[in-house]
Amino acid sequence: MSVPRIAVITTVYSYLSHAQHFVDRFLVGYAYEGMWHYPAVDVVSLYVDQRPVGDQSADRGREFGFNVYPAIAEALRCGGDQLAVDGVLIICEHGDYACNELGQILYPRFEWFQECVAVFEAAGRAVPIFSDKHLSYDYAKAEQMIADARRLNFALMAGSSVPVTWRLPDLELEHGCVIEEALAIGFGGSDPTDYHALEGLQCMIERRHGGETGVAAVQMLEGAAVWSALDEGRWSHQLLEAALSRSDSPQGLSVEDGRTQDLLGSGELRRLATEPVAYIIEFRDGLQATLLMLNGAIANFCFAARLEGSESPVSCQFLVTPKPNVNYSASLVAKIDEMFRTGRAPIPADRTLAVSGYLAACLKSRHQGCVRLETPHLSATYTAPVESHHAHR
Amino acid sequence: LSRRPRIAAVVTEYRKHSHGQHIVDRFLEGYGWNNRHHRPEMDVVSLYVDQRPEGDLTQDRISRFPQMKLCDSIATALTLGTDDLAVDGVVLIAEHGQYERNEKGQHLYPRYEFFMQIVDVFRATGKTAAVFNDKHLSWNWNWAREMYEVSRELDFPFMAGSSLPVTWRNPAIDMPLDARIEEAMCVGYGDVDSYDFHAFETLQCMVERRAGGEAGVHWLETYSGDRFWQAHHDGLWSRDLFDACLCRSHSLTSARDGFNHTFPNVDEQKRLAEPLAFRYQHADGLPATVIMMNGLVQDFNFAARLEGMERPLSTQMYLPMPPKWTTLASFFSPQVNNVEQMFLTGVPAYPVERTLLTTGLVIAGVDSLQQEGARVATPHLDISYPAPSVSTFWDS
Repeated sequence: MSVPRIAVITTVYSYLSHAQHFVDRFLVGYAYEGMWHYPAVDVVSLYVDQRPVGDQSADRGREFGFNVYPAIAEALRCGGDQLAVDGVLIICEHGDYACNELGQILYPRFEWFQECVAVFEAAGRAVPIFSDKHLSYDYAKAEQMIADARRLNFALMAGSSVPVTWRLPDLELEHGCVIEEALAIGFGGSDPTDYHALEGLQCMIERRHGGETGVAAVQMLEGAAVWSALDEGRWSHQLLEAALSRSDSPQGLSVEDGRTQDLLGSGELRRLATEPVAYIIEFRDGLQATLLMLNGAIANFCFAARLEGSESPVSCQFLVTPKPNVNYSASLVAKIDEMFRTGRAPIPADRTLAVSGYLAACLKSRHQGCVRLETPHLSATYTAPVESHHAHR
Repeated sequence: LSRRPRIAAVVTEYRKHSHGQHIVDRFLEGYGWNNRHHRPEMDVVSLYVDQRPEGDLTQDRISRFPQMKLCDSIATALTLGTDDLAVDGVVLIAEHGQYERNEKGQHLYPRYEFFMQIVDVFRATGKTAAVFNDKHLSWNWNWAREMYEVSRELDFPFMAGSSLPVTWRNPAIDMPLDARIEEAMCVGYGDVDSYDFHAFETLQCMVERRAGGEAGVHWLETYSGDRFWQAHHDGLWSRDLFDACLCRSHSLTSARDGFNHTFPNVDEQKRLAEPLAFRYQHADGLPATVIMMNGLVQDFNFAARLEGMERPLSTQMYLPMPPKWTTLASFFSPQVNNVEQMFLTGVPAYPVERTLLTTGLVIAGVDSLQQEGARVATPHLDISYPAPSVSTFWDS
């Protein structure tokens, strides 16, 4: 096969934007498994939706020899009449887009995907797509994306870098393990950052016995209700302690004088996390998974689970490697690179569908006063890959 | 021991982010370990603090942990004012604080002086305790050697060293035991007689696992400025290992504005970095190079070429470094945990000979730099020891 030709469709292309993290690595290579790896793909066209101050799209096109086109279809056709690329990278993150009443940023991920699908249909040929982060803010749209990929038989991959970054320790759950309960902690806003935390959670629990079975109900809790739920044992104290034990960014007294802290045991957790949020996911096979967003108390993404037959939980931190390198992006680019070269998605987009779905459902729960919402629509099932895809070599 | 071990802490300084704070706090406050907030099964019963600068935390810690008595001398910290040794273990942390530098630029931290005061109590009471010495043994080779000899003579468990050998690794690999290593390298950052010690320990904890164990070091030479780039060009050390180290870094400086992670060519490296190489040869012929690449990386990376392996074995010894990247210097947690094991079992978790050797390498480096990079023979570094067969780095 000749070198795959890639079109990039993005919201903005500026320093430290997602587009810059991903596309630059295709242009200048990336550090991976102890080597500088130059991907055997060519970026041949670019569509950029917004050009704020610091826009780099024209410079990159000039330096690396590709055109910037004014429309998505043109980028896919490289200015001609026919689909002229072998893969598409859609990066809808950053930029100025409206928010809806649920607090979701209305990135046009679905709409752009549909424009690509229209070009594929016209060409009678479809090529792999990577769509950064969620598939869509709307579950029906996300489902449609998966269905289109199946109908036209092209590889689709999506999601966050959190599942593929280094883990401290290098924890991977045994495929087919029985998980009694799972919990993640994170920080940041909704819905850009909670998405990362939820994908971290999902990439671990999808390996459980029976695979992913879909979601029966969700509930979001905020503020004092989170601490009441903790007191009532709505999720495991042991798992929360385990997840917190993996954080190396406790705030408060650690910032003040450097001391280590038992945030849960000392009560500091409640003092520091003034606006806690809980995302409670009840899966159809009975597993409960909880994400606690603990702004003000910690600044890491960590995971913990209790496995059947084991008294001690398992836990890890998803290492968000430092700026500006953010080399975790390289771990994801390596997987995208692999898809473009092989035509197969190493990581199932069903994971992203599942997370897009229960995140949107949680935000609906919040919008309706944090009620528990049954989710008959979240019925998609899938089987996790056996192979590990996170950075570990 | 049928009761909880009693520990004396002897530190130069106790302020935010001093080694004294990082280490003693973990004994007092506990730390995240194996899925829990772990509290060491021992009590720090005394504290000696040599300097109390602005920001000193001594009083706060003494009042919050009343079982810990502030003592005005090292001897009192060990005897608690009695005629007898009153502790089972001592942590000696002589890093940070205002201490003079000598004409060679060495920081005259009083590790030896404090150690000998500890040993005086051992001799006077006829009893000993396990001792942990943070970082290298002494800036003075004869004193470092004496510390080691005394620990053997009085037969007490003695551990020392950096947290680099025991911190997280990306990836979480160890040198295969009895590997045949053809060449080894560490690319790190920091100053002479300071972070170079961490780089030597990074390299040493890996290569000591090679076939035959550690055999000592014959000589060391240094390269900086144009001499470094000429040696780099001439292949005095492996370019493949150097590149592998840069590819393990999480903090490679980008050579180009607007790009966040590019692989710098040599011209770009020259523009960005102020390099310093310590090139040395082990007694069994193993060539090793420690390169301090200030300006280019801010982490410690290891690579080695193994017989029969096509690609280098490489990893980063990852330091979650506050305040830039974290709030806790969590790499002290595995160090403290290994020291705890010594206090509980009486057996050092890893050999102090490693740190005796790296202490000698730091000093040889200073001496070579004094002589414009000249090769310094190190017949005194005929230090051989077997590596522990069990890995002691943080992977759980």
